[in-house]
Amino acid sequence: MNNKDNKPKNLYEELCKDYRFKEGFHTCINCGTCTAICPAAEFYKYDPRKIVSIVQTRDDQQIEELLKSDTIWYCGECMSCVTRCPRKNGPGLVIIALRDLSARLGYFTESEKGRQLLPLTHIMTGNILNYGYCVHPKSFKWEDHKESGPVWKWHTEHLEQSLARQGANYMGDGPGILRKIPQESLDELKAIFDVTGGTERIRIVEEYSKAKAEEMGMDMEEYERQAFEYCSDKHFNH
Amino acid sequence: MITEGKQKIWSDYQKEIPDDHWYYVRSCIRQNFFPASEKMFTEITQKVLGKDLYETPHHTTCGGIAYHCDTIPQETVMTIVARQFALMTEAGYENYVPSCITSFGNYCEILETWHEFPELEAKIRENLWKACKREFKKPKYLAHTSDLIYHWRNAIAAKAKHHLVNKETGEPLKIVEHIGCHYAKMFPSKGVGGAEYPYVLAGMVESWGGQVVDYPERRHCCGYGFRQYHVKANRGYSVSNTHKKFESMEPFHPDAIITNCPGCPYFLDRWQYVIAEQTGKTYGKDGFGIPVFTYEEMAGIILGYDPWDLGLQLHQVAVEPFLDKIGVEYDPKAKYLGMNKEDIMRPELPKSIKCC
Amino acid sequence: MKENIVIIGGGIAGMEAAKQLLVLGYNPIIIEQQDHLGGHVSQWHKLFPDMTSSHELLDGLSNQIKDANVFLETKVNSINALGDSYNVILNNGVNIVAKAVLVASGFHLFDAAKKEEYGYGVYDRVITNADLEAWFNKRADARIPEHPKAVGFVHCVGSRDLKAGNSQCSKVCCTTAIKQAIEIKEIFPETEVYCFYMDLRLFGKKYEDFYINAQRDFGVHFIRGRVSEVGETIDNRVQVKAEDTLTGKPLKVTLDLLVLMSGMVCNPRTNELAEMIGLNIDDDGFLKSKDNVYTIMESNRPGIFYAGACTGTKTVPETVAEARAAVLSIHHYLTQA
Repeated sequence: MNNKDNKPKNLYEELCKDYRFKEGFHTCINCGTCTAICPAAEFYKYDPRKIVSIVQTRDDQQIEELLKSDTIWYCGECMSCVTRCPRKNGPGLVIIALRDLSARLGYFTESEKGRQLLPLTHIMTGNILNYGYCVHPKSFKWEDHKESGPVWKWHTEHLEQSLARQGANYMGDGPGILRKIPQESLDELKAIFDVTGGTERIRIVEEYSKAKAEEMGMDMEEYERQAFEYCSDKHFNH
Repeated sequence: MITEGKQKIWSDYQKEIPDDHWYYVRSCIRQNFFPASEKMFTEITQKVLGKDLYETPHHTTCGGIAYHCDTIPQETVMTIVARQFALMTEAGYENYVPSCITSFGNYCEILETWHEFPELEAKIRENLWKACKREFKKPKYLAHTSDLIYHWRNAIAAKAKHHLVNKETGEPLKIVEHIGCHYAKMFPSKGVGGAEYPYVLAGMVESWGGQVVDYPERRHCCGYGFRQYHVKANRGYSVSNTHKKFESMEPFHPDAIITNCPGCPYFLDRWQYVIAEQTGKTYGKDGFGIPVFTYEEMAGIILGYDPWDLGLQLHQVAVEPFLDKIGVEYDPKAKYLGMNKEDIMRPELPKSIKCC
Repeated sequence: MKENIVIIGGGIAGMEAAKQLLVLGYNPIIIEQQDHLGGHVSQWHKLFPDMTSSHELLDGLSNQIKDANVFLETKVNSINALGDSYNVILNNGVNIVAKAVLVASGFHLFDAAKKEEYGYGVYDRVITNADLEAWFNKRADARIPEHPKAVGFVHCVGSRDLKAGNSQCSKVCCTTAIKQAIEIKEIFPETEVYCFYMDLRLFGKKYEDFYINAQRDFGVHFIRGRVSEVGETIDNRVQVKAEDTLTGKPLKVTLDLLVLMSGMVCNPRTNELAEMIGLNIDDDGFLKSKDNVYTIMESNRPGIFYAGACTGTKTVPETVAEARAAVLSIHHYLTQA
């Protein structure tokens, strides 16, 4: 399948098919209640109100620019905006729908923050399919998480003893904390991914990322490392 | 602050929480970062209170974090959740209790979406059958583990060996509560006390002798932000939001923070260390930080469990000043020992923030 | 014998109608729940746009309706059709038979505590527009500091808010906020005053002049953004978050007093009344007029008429005009029949 042929005739109509969009977008009054309490809006050059407002124009060109921009990737999906909107919108839900579409169309590779989807996909789906968890000690490298502090360095260096002291059943059989998820259950997760488009999504993200890496003249390892670590200073509010 | 006003709102948001027979699912993040808290939950539920709590080894992640990192489609996360419900159905339970707030929010959102769009639920049932040959019933009751501890808070208080009271002055300790965003911000009616003044943790603090402290940025997110933490390049977002909260709570001099979200206690704890490293600023007394606890840790403390059985040694911010205030006895030398007092060395102590 | 006309509600609409009915030779009978006439206006201090004293206005009106029958602290227990008349039974045991009934039962002020994020009834320094008017009248309210440095007004509290169950604009709040902002500045010239609005709906005569005055003569700050949440600081002040949508930046200010412009919602008592006699309710909860253009004063039942905010949000001048129009409609109805 050629992903380049994926582009739907009308981006707004495509968004309207998304259940997150159906729930999260009605009509926007541009009051800014969402932006006022948005954790991302103070930190990044980010304004959820404007995103909803752009979507409300139904203008495909503007929506396409949005899907290719860093902007849609600034949200933390905390959903604080959902509580407050007087028109019962959920800007956070609109963002999820936009990100989904950006991923499907490969537009995410056009922005620095969007390109982070590749390492994120590898971390998250890797953990789920390999271990049955979203986060797992085997993939949590202290070197990538120095903020976890010297106590966590010690913990990871003495992982099995420390987890045992905490009452965990680490990689053990039966129930309990950080138990080994039985292989047949992992097989079921894989089958779910296959049936529901999870596997296809991983493939799409990898394929578009590979094309972008080539375009940027990088090998995949370098591309992914840069996506994970590099942060230009253009994003910030201050 | 007008307490009666808050009490009025609290009374408007009470949810029905059955007293027994719960199907338990674990939290990815808490198993990694606060494993002993989950241990404490099963200990309190099953051993201290004698309740029926069932866990199957076959349950998995709900996929919530991967979903909110935008790495899996909606149908994928919904079908993973459908499988979780199928396991509950097969085990003969109808009360479902996840240990994670992201999961709790995920379940609320999915059930609500299915309610609104029954054709999607039908599709997910079909997906689950295709992938796993399983069928499911939706839970009759959905609660978060903190809802259950809230529900049993007075029973726990009745067995308490300590109270959230300064043993020197007899004054109640000042506790800040932090509620995970996905607990009630999406569906205020699903949380004890609603979205604006949640009572789930405040109720525990009051019941256990402490005084709840409100501060302007109480409702603000801890800064997890899913991709804003998991991707290294984005972590400035995460720390800056935690920083904002600490600057706002600083004048109130809280003795501790209690949380009900998997990520929040980790971020509120670790980012204090990072802020100290970067700016030299600490928010507790005499160069210490403000200790951050899960609700199970706090329950365990007042029930008289050994702090090192509660996993408090895995915090970066020292908990000892808090334990000293309420008069908990502990062996400082045992803090970093492994099983059977095995010596597994000690972590290096940071210089920027005082640790014990 | 003079023809009875029952007027349900003794606010500004009911009083004005009674006055006009007396002039036309009818016997108006006002049924009022409160222990005084004047409704919401009696709680107000001054009315825009001329800064009319609401008490002087009501005193004048009261003098002109001395010949009307007034039942205070009285409720309608039931209304039944009786031939071409209505039998109105009051809770004091009195029965009145009348060919025409005027519903002038007004509105309810939105309960600001329902917007939990604003902290009315929770935070010490959060009050409503009605509380401020009461303070202008009596100058006694422990929530209002002696020398506030900064005061904020939140427009659209419970109005234009689907979550609060009210899609309607309350019409008067924008102008009232500006009026109150100016009054605050007159009392406390050094105070910084902020109005947080979504749209400034200043449609009436001289309203825009208020806005200009507030900006030019009083330096009131207008911020286009709906307040999202309020918190309390350690010194009992209020921290307010909004977006300044014109610059696209989130904004946080700490204030000594926050005034919530509670909007108008339907009076639930009116709905009970409507049920008794089969009056139509509109989807905004207010009484449904025959139409909203030409026959606003007419109900779906012969002989029952409407005036004022029982059919929707209204200003005082609109209410007074409607009361007069309703009286004419009643007069035509009775003389043509």
